Amino acid sequence: MNAPVKPDAFRVGTGPVPDPNPPIIRFEQVGKTYAGRGAQGPVAALSGIDLDVPQGAIVGVIGRSGAGKSTLIRLVNGLERATSGRLLIDGEDVTGLTEAGWRARRRATGMIFQHFNLLSSRTVFDNVALPLEIAGTPKPQIEQRIARLLDLVGLADKRERYPAELSGGQKQRVGIARALASEPKVLLCDEATSALDPETTKSILALLKQVNRDLGITILLITHEIPVIKEICDRVAVIEGGRIVEEGETFSVLTDPQHPTTARFVEAVTGVEVPAYLAGQIHTQAREGDQAVLRITFTGENSTAPVISRLSSTIGIDVNILAGRIDAIAGRPFGSLLVSVPSQQPKLAAVLGALNSLELKAEVIGHVS
Amino acid sequence: MFPEIISPQILALIGQATLDTLQMVAVAAGLGTVLGLPLGVFLATSKRGELFAAQLVNTLLGTLVNATRSTPFIILVVAIIPFTRLIAGTSIGTNAAIVPLTVAATPFIARLIEGAIREVDQGLVEAARSMGATPLQIVRKVLVPEALPAIALGLTLAIVSLIGFSAMVGAVGGGGLGDLGIRYGYQRFMPEVMAAVVAVLIVLVQTVQTIGDHLARRLNKRLRHA
Repeated sequence: MNAPVKPDAFRVGTGPVPDPNPPIIRFEQVGKTYAGRGAQGPVAALSGIDLDVPQGAIVGVIGRSGAGKSTLIRLVNGLERATSGRLLIDGEDVTGLTEAGWRARRRATGMIFQHFNLLSSRTVFDNVALPLEIAGTPKPQIEQRIARLLDLVGLADKRERYPAELSGGQKQRVGIARALASEPKVLLCDEATSALDPETTKSILALLKQVNRDLGITILLITHEIPVIKEICDRVAVIEGGRIVEEGETFSVLTDPQHPTTARFVEAVTGVEVPAYLAGQIHTQAREGDQAVLRITFTGENSTAPVISRLSSTIGIDVNILAGRIDAIAGRPFGSLLVSVPSQQPKLAAVLGALNSLELKAEVIGHVS
Repeated sequence: MFPEIISPQILALIGQATLDTLQMVAVAAGLGTVLGLPLGVFLATSKRGELFAAQLVNTLLGTLVNATRSTPFIILVVAIIPFTRLIAGTSIGTNAAIVPLTVAATPFIARLIEGAIREVDQGLVEAARSMGATPLQIVRKVLVPEALPAIALGLTLAIVSLIGFSAMVGAVGGGGLGDLGIRYGYQRFMPEVMAAVVAVLIVLVQTVQTIGDHLARRLNKRLRHA
């Protein structure tokens, strides 16, 4: 991951500082407008996109269908062209590139797809060979490189099989091997795990992580699944209506979402819903003998502290756990817990005070009898 | 059974006519494929926003193809006699019949191939583009190989139709089984010859269809071969 560029205190003069580690992909106010047909005017698919993809990072773009994420990822290999703004890849402005120029660039960019897009008429080996055939790589070299790639994705024994004989996960592994065949610097993943079951998704994400770590390939992925972001992305951008509404390090965006869209995405994974049997009974005003329902959010170091037992022993109350989830986001622990404690004061205030002192976020959702 | 009611001479005629028909159909199907394949590929890839986008040429060729296909074959044969003479030097006989058969087969095959190519998943085209493939590479390495099972079935259909057409050119002196059936079976009142011609045609069509189906299945790797 990239360290943020620090202001250079010892700098003299006013010329621009060369960025010591420039992003491999940089969107500058990029927009994409489709010329409308007939009565339907022009449609803006993307507007004012600013996004940096640091070299060697895994960056995820999450959004619902129609948010513009497909268009965004296709700008990077010229399958779609920006209609405004600037797009820099590897320091080069590619905004005005011709189709022939793009073709050369595409040979240095891998892409994998939701529905794998493997040729049914070719064996696994020949599918992986396709980009090399297109680039005119000599046969012996193709043979050598593909053997290595099939080893990497764990499909060495399937080289003469046809895609129809493979499972979804195996097909995506072929897709990954094919995307890596031209030894790209950047791998674009278009909903690469959306057609796979959770178990297979995990193994494909692990493979992508391995590709990123061992081969140093930068990954830009788009998805509508927050688990994908949570699992492997260093940074995340949330896209809504063709605009990026939130962007940052995965852990901070997911644990402290600022935009309602982000919050909705995050809820499904990190938040804990009030169980249905309780939801109907919750009221806002505490009555005699009620229990207060609290949502405690754990982030960072205190997420592993024995909070509940500490509350019981220091304040002398019973803490009742209603629901909870402890998870890892971008490799750091994060959890949220729904508990009930006595509503009567001053015990409730003492509980909240104790949680605050541990720097845990706690909110009172309501009271139940 | 045949030898008892059909004389050896007639049998020899049937044999020759079968060979003539096979020759006409084979040459017309071959030429029709050579001409129809690029035409079909172009029709399938040249609409607005496609690989070889050329909307105007696409519309023109499409109209030409439709015009040829909507002309009844027997009228086509007569209408292009001057063209047939130009190419074959005559308008009578097996060789001359190949000209109208090819003219009829080409647009037919082109449409069948267009249909087969349009069935190829656009995701594959996008994948090939993402690898930096040129439009021609996409056609050669993706579209045609992926459409091959459907193309095989289409060509089977085209050959079966051509067998029927080839019998029709017999009516205008084209030679082959149709010619034999008309001259002997109909004009000389020899129903056994007519029956034999029909029987041979049935066997031909059946054989072509069986081979075509088998080939299409062999080419289709989308099915699991257990």
